[in-house]
Amino acid sequence: MILKELRRRSLLGGLCKTNTMKDQSFANGESRYRLQLRFLLNKGAATVGLPPAWVDVSEEIASNVQRARVKMNELAKAHAKALMPSFGDGKEDQQNIEALTTEITNLLKKTEKKLLQKLSAAGPSEDSNVRKNVQRQLATDLQNLSMELRKKQSTYLKCLRQQMEDAADLEMNLNGNRPKEEDDDLDDMIFSEHQMARLKQSEVYTVEREREIQQIVESVNELAQIMKDLSVLVIDQGTIVDRIDYNIQNVATTVEEGLKQLQKAERTQKQGGMVMCATVLVIMCFVMLVLLILKEIIF
Amino acid sequence: MVLVSAVRDYVYRMLQDISGMKVLILDSQTVSIVSVVYSQSELLQKEVFLVELIDSISKSKESMSHLKAVYFLRPTSENIQYMRRQLSNPRFGEYHLFFSNMLKDTQIHLLADSDEQEVVQQVQEFYADFIAVDPYHFTLNMPSNHYYILPAVVDPSNLQHFCDRAVDGIGAVFLALKRRPIIRYSRASDIAKRIAHETAKLMYQQESGLFDFRRMEMSPLLLIVDRRDDPVTPLLNQWTYQAMVHELIGIQDNKVDLRSIGKFPKDQQEVVLSSEQDAFFKANMYENFGDIGMNIKRMVDDFQQVAKSNQNIQTIEDMAKFVDNYPEYRKMHGNVSKHVTLVTEMSKIVEEGKLMLVSETEQDLACNGGQVAAFEAVTNLLNNESVSDIDRLRLVMLYALRYEKESPVQLMQLFNKLASRSAKYKPGLVQFLLKQAGADKRTGDLYGNRDFLNIARNMARGLKGVENVYTQHQPLLFQTMESIIKGRLRDVDYPYVGNHFQQGRPQEVVIFIVGGTTYEESRSVAQLNASNSGIRFILGGTAVLNSKRFLKDLEEAQGIARSNANVV
Repeated sequence: MILKELRRRSLLGGLCKTNTMKDQSFANGESRYRLQLRFLLNKGAATVGLPPAWVDVSEEIASNVQRARVKMNELAKAHAKALMPSFGDGKEDQQNIEALTTEITNLLKKTEKKLLQKLSAAGPSEDSNVRKNVQRQLATDLQNLSMELRKKQSTYLKCLRQQMEDAADLEMNLNGNRPKEEDDDLDDMIFSEHQMARLKQSEVYTVEREREIQQIVESVNELAQIMKDLSVLVIDQGTIVDRIDYNIQNVATTVEEGLKQLQKAERTQKQGGMVMCATVLVIMCFVMLVLLILKEIIF
Repeated sequence: MVLVSAVRDYVYRMLQDISGMKVLILDSQTVSIVSVVYSQSELLQKEVFLVELIDSISKSKESMSHLKAVYFLRPTSENIQYMRRQLSNPRFGEYHLFFSNMLKDTQIHLLADSDEQEVVQQVQEFYADFIAVDPYHFTLNMPSNHYYILPAVVDPSNLQHFCDRAVDGIGAVFLALKRRPIIRYSRASDIAKRIAHETAKLMYQQESGLFDFRRMEMSPLLLIVDRRDDPVTPLLNQWTYQAMVHELIGIQDNKVDLRSIGKFPKDQQEVVLSSEQDAFFKANMYENFGDIGMNIKRMVDDFQQVAKSNQNIQTIEDMAKFVDNYPEYRKMHGNVSKHVTLVTEMSKIVEEGKLMLVSETEQDLACNGGQVAAFEAVTNLLNNESVSDIDRLRLVMLYALRYEKESPVQLMQLFNKLASRSAKYKPGLVQFLLKQAGADKRTGDLYGNRDFLNIARNMARGLKGVENVYTQHQPLLFQTMESIIKGRLRDVDYPYVGNHFQQGRPQEVVIFIVGGTTYEESRSVAQLNASNSGIRFILGGTAVLNSKRFLKDLEEAQGIARSNANVV
């Protein structure tokens, strides 16, 4: 079905068709041999040329994005591990998570800065259009990554808070069960000791959790900043800016506008008062110099 | 979904196998074809970082050999000339050529000859030669649509171009659907017959190998009809969202240009109305104006609630939630302001032109009887100062189409009144329309007064009353489709091409209206498709008409006919 539908005419290396046409115009077999030889020699002629320098920057940014994605998968695993109930302190897990999160946020910030500075294009040439479009696409990827990271963090935050509340509830329940079993006096003393110990423990626990939450909130804010910066570049889907024909028209008008501006600038510069002043001053300098020399010679 | 997904699939296949940075080069027609189905951001995902038109790319001399060029063009001789020039001085690293229809052998030879540096990697044909504006509605966007009105002797070469484009477009639709149809056409129309025969020749003789698809039990049906069988539908005022926007403002390739009706901020000057990308539009495109107003109000209320909660940011959590939802919020804001702007502008236009009054009379003229009452109503409106010239012309045309035989004296009176009131529009145009699309020229029963069954149906409807006076009109197409569903499309009116014959009902029907379709008709098609009648209908035409475009076509045809008559 596909073969019938897509009639492939291969012009790869100027096969059959070119030769047949030329065969019809040349009668002798010698020319045919020469043509075939040329075909063999020119096989590698159509190579993709060397790209301009900014392509390296864009490839760097793309690889950064890829690295960030890998790290985010690791982070997701670390989140899951930390949320599971464990015997140990869980401090290692926390540190791991913190380290990963800061790493990813820094990577994103660095990439964003590079994207906005190095890839910005000026001028109405075709190359700058390509640059602008590359920038847009990378900005979309980066923004999606930032949003994903924030979602992961907020779910982790929610789970943490939930755990805190559960732990507090649990302790409340445990506290609640004891008093019924013991004497009142003994109750008070033991109770207060128990209570003090528990209070201290839960305090430490709370402080730690608070610190974690604070950190997460900070990184959330940083990411928000990144998203705000990138949102200028990213195309809103479904709007007129997302239409191919609109962009083609705009390019045409921008190029024309740019040309007009350049011509106007040239004209203004030529007629510029500055140029006139400068010329006049230079002439005056020469005149003064000549007068000075004359004065020395005469007197 | 069918047409849109077919074109999207083709574009996907073009870009999928080519790695690296690409530049996509289109011509003025394929730009429309690709723009309605693929967005710029999707192109960027596929690493297409530059999109250009073929005539502007010839002007620049910059060499960008790190880009691979993907060309998607119509196989016209002009495009082949551009290609030859560009292949002899290649600017890009690799060239991948895709054509939207069948290439002739001579064209391939020309291309092969100019490819001296052998930069072309592949040449393929992807049959996306039509603009898929809606899932079941396509158009060919022909710039000079009026040739269908004139007889063949007047301008044979342009008419041949017209027919060729139509045949190419229809062929591409069936190649994209991978089916070969049985063809029927409207008896009274010469051009429908011509296009039908040429399409049959293409599918069954010239390219029978290409069209030889696996046959299912029932072949699909291609029905070619003439716009002049139903000249009433394009002349009417519309009150359902998509049709109304096209009638009052104008939709081109699913884009609405608001600059012609007023001053707007930069991001609202042009808006996109696509059922694929806008969920609110998809739900409301066939609703009438009153219901749209209510739905928009509900949307605005929802939006205001969201906006209020966004302003009420107190804790860090709220801030985080705001930033999370910001892209959604922005999109919603854009969408809401777009629809509110459109509805506001349309309300203004309706107010100024007293369109509700005019439309009531129009619907009466199109649907109900009563010649005397109609004459009075039309006369009153002709005297009304706020009614615009074009509306007056339309009223007289509708009256003339309905009552051309009944009372010639009164018709002359209306003509005179029209001539005295409107400096711009001459009654000659009405007479031209009558000559082209009068009662004797039409196939089918436009007013339901030829067939006893139809007369009875009309009387019953009149007694029952209608839900909404302004949307009571059903286009003739609806009746045609119903007859197809019942398997009762008359051979006398719609003969078969060649010796094809079909028993029973087809499962897929493509209706092609020579001269253009309207959004009211595409609404009927969508509603019938949704009602699960067992048949899938697809509608297509040479253009998408509103009353302005239809009248322009008539005027141009009249001008040519007149100058021809003078010459002769």
